[in-house]
Amino acid sequence: MSLLEVTGLTAGYGPARVLHGLDLRVEEGEVVVVLGANGAGKTTTMRALSGLIPHTGTVVFDGRSLDGLGPDAVVGRGVSLVPQGRGTFSHLTVLDNLRVGAALRRDKAGIREDVDRWCSVFPVLAERGGQEAGTLSGGEQQMLAVARALMSRPRLLLCDEPSLGLAPRIVSELFATLADVNRAEGTALLLVEQNADLALDLASRVYLLEVGRVVAEGEAARFREDESIRRAYLGL
Amino acid sequence: MDIFLERLFDGVTNGAVYAIMAMALVVVFRGTGTINFAQGEMALFTTYVAWWLTVQGQPVWIAALVAAAVGFVLGAVTERTLIRPIRKRNDMASLIVALGLFTGFNALAGLIWNSESKNMPSLFPAGQDDFTTVGGARLYFDALGVWLVVIVLIGAVFFLFNRTRLGLNMRAVADNPESAALAGVPTGRILMLGWGLAGIIGSFAGVLIAPLSAHQLGLTTMFPILIYASAAALFGGLDSPVGAVVGGLAIGLLEAMITGYVGFVGGTLPQTAALVIIVFILLFKPTGLFGTRQMERL
Repeated sequence: MSLLEVTGLTAGYGPARVLHGLDLRVEEGEVVVVLGANGAGKTTTMRALSGLIPHTGTVVFDGRSLDGLGPDAVVGRGVSLVPQGRGTFSHLTVLDNLRVGAALRRDKAGIREDVDRWCSVFPVLAERGGQEAGTLSGGEQQMLAVARALMSRPRLLLCDEPSLGLAPRIVSELFATLADVNRAEGTALLLVEQNADLALDLASRVYLLEVGRVVAEGEAARFREDESIRRAYLGL
Repeated sequence: MDIFLERLFDGVTNGAVYAIMAMALVVVFRGTGTINFAQGEMALFTTYVAWWLTVQGQPVWIAALVAAAVGFVLGAVTERTLIRPIRKRNDMASLIVALGLFTGFNALAGLIWNSESKNMPSLFPAGQDDFTTVGGARLYFDALGVWLVVIVLIGAVFFLFNRTRLGLNMRAVADNPESAALAGVPTGRILMLGWGLAGIIGSFAGVLIAPLSAHQLGLTTMFPILIYASAAALFGGLDSPVGAVVGGLAIGLLEAMITGYVGFVGGTLPQTAALVIIVFILLFKPTGLFGTRQMERL
């Protein structure tokens, strides 16, 4: 059984439907990337999975249904989202941002350990621990957003366009860290990206989204190498 | 000099009460993004509860604590049953509901306890001779008591916000509700507790100011307090608890000095003066002294 199994997912905003029956799955510890142009429904998929907007269809995580749960309950089940645009608490300090990430945990010592741990993985967070998050650069805020999401010790981390607006060097640094976290913790990753090349290096499987539906899926290696797929779907 | 000091003491005492009322407004604004215009009338209602308990023979301190508990319940229930269901649909709606509650609580108090003024006993010794002399001016113990309660209350609120997990969650929800929910914070419950907290703070403003007020406890006791507190909250910055304290003291002092030294203003115009201050702040510094967010929804 897969860690995450999504069947016939539909969702949207008010009367506007964006997803029209989407199927996807993520295995335990796997890295999966969802590619697609603007407006394909990538962000909507992430918002529906994390409980920010209601959906129809079924979402099963670790054998239990996530249907009808709000975002705080979804985090409680072990699914954490790094939202598009980072969503850091700009008037809270960096350290407080991390602590809020552990809102559902009760193990005080473990929380402190994890704060230290992510501060050593992202040294810039330690340097700026007492600073308000709003004063950080875009790249630093993205690292903070990822670290905050990891503070809940998720089994599945959702990342919504983590590369958006970042310099290429920062993006590869960030992706390297995501790969490390995936290897070291066994945290499964589901990320949506427009930046196809980097994402394909990180992922083992790929879904291609067009107007709210999966139009192609397969091994990341095949997407990387097959010229016709690259031309037809990725515009590369 | 001594008359100046007496006016100064008066100003600080009233300002301290405006400060905590302003803090109640700030706590709600940070979470919900609207000014709860019913905050003053909620406090009026709980002050009547306190008065009624003292009439039943309860000690005034017990009465004040029960009033605080009632304030918590009123605030929390209001958020849960009236504000939460409508807030998502329309920001203006919560403002209208608050205005409705304003008249509602006032009418309810009048209905239960009629419209005659009540004699609300003070939490502190309040006799003619209960004062100490500072620089030739009389500093009454009940004024001093108000300062102490306000200092303790402000300290408690700052401890809650900055040293507890509940406070951290409250700040997170105020900063970015969506991210807070994504981090696992139960935003609905946090907002409800915020309204409850504001209810507690407001109830203290009521039981502190009623014994000092010239007309004792009547149905209009809290209205001017709300006006001054709104001015104070705007002055300090609607999302800043520090601003609420500074703003409250500033408005209190301004009121005492204007009524004392500017002859034509007299006893009734200071409220107008407060409203003029509100207008000027909104014109020239919409975020207030310490605020970061301006009021967008009024």
